[in-house]
Amino acid sequence: MSVRKIKLTSSEGTEFVVDADVANQSVIMRNMLENCEAHDAVIPLPDVTTPILAKVIEYCTHHRTGAPIPTDDANSVPKKTDNIGKWDTEFCQMDQETLFDLILAADHLDIKPLLDLACATVANMIHNKSPEEIRQTFNILNDFSLAEISKDNERMEQK
Amino acid sequence: MALCKRRRLSDAFSSRPQKPNKRTFLSSSHPLAIKPLGNYYFESTNPAFKGSCRTSGLGFIAALSDELILDVIERFLEPRDLCRLAETSRVLYVFAHHDDLWRTWTVNEFRGNFTWSGTWRATYLKTNNPSYEIQENDTPVQVSDFYSDTLYQPFYCASASMEPFMGVENVERRSNLSMAEFVTDYAIPNKPVIITDIVTQWPAFGKWNDTYFLERYGDVRFRAEVVDIELRNYYRYAHNQRDESPLYLFDKKFVRDCPDIADDFEVPEYFREDYFSVLGNERPDYRWLIVGPARSGSTFHKDPNSTSAWNAVITGSKKWIMYPPDTVPPGVFTSEGSWRAAALTMSILTRQHVHPPLTWLNLLLDESEVTSPVSLMEWHLNFYKKIHQIQPRPIEAICRAGEVMFVPNGWWHMVVNLEDSIAITQNYVGAHNLLNVLRFLRDKPNQVSGVSDTDGFYIKFREAFQKAYPGFLERIEKEETEKRLTTWERLKDGGSRFSFGFVSDDE
Repeated sequence: MSVRKIKLTSSEGTEFVVDADVANQSVIMRNMLENCEAHDAVIPLPDVTTPILAKVIEYCTHHRTGAPIPTDDANSVPKKTDNIGKWDTEFCQMDQETLFDLILAADHLDIKPLLDLACATVANMIHNKSPEEIRQTFNILNDFSLAEISKDNERMEQK
Repeated sequence: MALCKRRRLSDAFSSRPQKPNKRTFLSSSHPLAIKPLGNYYFESTNPAFKGSCRTSGLGFIAALSDELILDVIERFLEPRDLCRLAETSRVLYVFAHHDDLWRTWTVNEFRGNFTWSGTWRATYLKTNNPSYEIQENDTPVQVSDFYSDTLYQPFYCASASMEPFMGVENVERRSNLSMAEFVTDYAIPNKPVIITDIVTQWPAFGKWNDTYFLERYGDVRFRAEVVDIELRNYYRYAHNQRDESPLYLFDKKFVRDCPDIADDFEVPEYFREDYFSVLGNERPDYRWLIVGPARSGSTFHKDPNSTSAWNAVITGSKKWIMYPPDTVPPGVFTSEGSWRAAALTMSILTRQHVHPPLTWLNLLLDESEVTSPVSLMEWHLNFYKKIHQIQPRPIEAICRAGEVMFVPNGWWHMVVNLEDSIAITQNYVGAHNLLNVLRFLRDKPNQVSGVSDTDGFYIKFREAFQKAYPGFLERIEKEETEKRLTTWERLKDGGSRFSFGFVSDDE
């Protein structure tokens, strides 16, 4: 029996053909496909650009035989960010704009492992950094007034 | 109680800017002076408008929605990281003071042993480091050029009044109700009612209040959502908080843990059938003591295992909204994937001017997981007005001290405490819902709750019941079959059209 193929189109109209088990890692797409019997299903994704969709497909293709998608924890516990595998770490080497677009896409398409991976990558850029280092990493402007800084410092010193 | 997943409505359908929303214009101000998104559009028409500090204060992170940023912080960062983020920019300072984050961290790390200090943030910092001094009179940094519904909403919901939502009560109230009348008028037709002359006879009535409980049971640990907390500590929190959804004390072991408390109340005679009792200690959870301040309560849900319930208010008052079993209340979506699938499908298909297929609507009919707005106030602000657009109208009622509400099996219900309240609730299986319960246990084992072995529960209950009441089950099952056959015969003969729900029209 041949594997079912799905056509995904990006916001620019670029078509990607993927196997069903790749698309099924997106809960959104999985639900849509379960209710659609057609063999030539097309899922338009007008909110995902071509390069981001390519990255999503790259991730889902690599992880297609991975563990079943984990369900949400009832209590959110801070997730470990130090056990990211080699392939995943290399996959996340990208400029920040792409990384954040990937977070948005993974959230939009409901691909939890990818969302978690991208968020953990961002978290690792913040962990144990000083405020000035964080500002430099993300191009954040220090917009506190002098009065606000001294008020703040008093409070923060107590931690 | 079935756990209900909660989602913020603000990002439900897209991250595109929302249209200006009159409802979010407010003159009362947030402690950090932030404003809802609607104010941005309004203020931007003013020539002196300086814009928002969001983009410069977040840098590359600005690409994410406020809700996603909160998600990253809550799930992947630690309190220390957040304190550092607070020093980077004014908008991140606002994120760092978002109390919901600190509540999650406090509860996860300290369970019920926190030192309540007015806000969850102060509480975490104080519990973590007892020498931390809370600056009570200090004004925090004012960030009036940050506009965010996600961050503003909890403050607004915590401050808003329930007054506009006190609709006309349309539930029946009865006193001097005989057992036979209860069965005929309410149990069999599966209809809610408030009974007014039972609880007033209990020793608890007039005796139970916060002061009495504190004195008598102050050191007892009770269950409040995900934590076990000493009542004394719970009250310290409950009487001095401004949460949108206050932590709610809902304890199933109170009879065991509170000496003599069982002497102060008794199960009303109408509800004494209790067929799960045939299971002895292996019965599902069935009775709870409920204590909570104003704004605490439960969003829409159905009671577990298709049981019926009664809820007696001993002190305080509760607002109820109830929908019959086949009507999904406004704002409630069932089944995890369907919420997002529905949203995505709708946004795609409406853009292409295609009517969405009916198939995705079927996803909504599986009630295995219920998704509902985050808080009771948020539901009221967004969905209460829709009550008039759906048939049938719901039951609305305010159950006051001394009254008991009958919640028939399968009914959707939402309850809000209007003030500090103490109540007792019990679920039960009686003759009128026994067959429903058996059907539920048999057909929906994945939704069975309150027991450890959900798959084997149907068989276990059926066997225990037959042992305790031999022949009873066969008799009522036979009666039910005969009733259906009679109905079918009547319909076949071209009798008047009517439906019990399992006879479908040809549509």
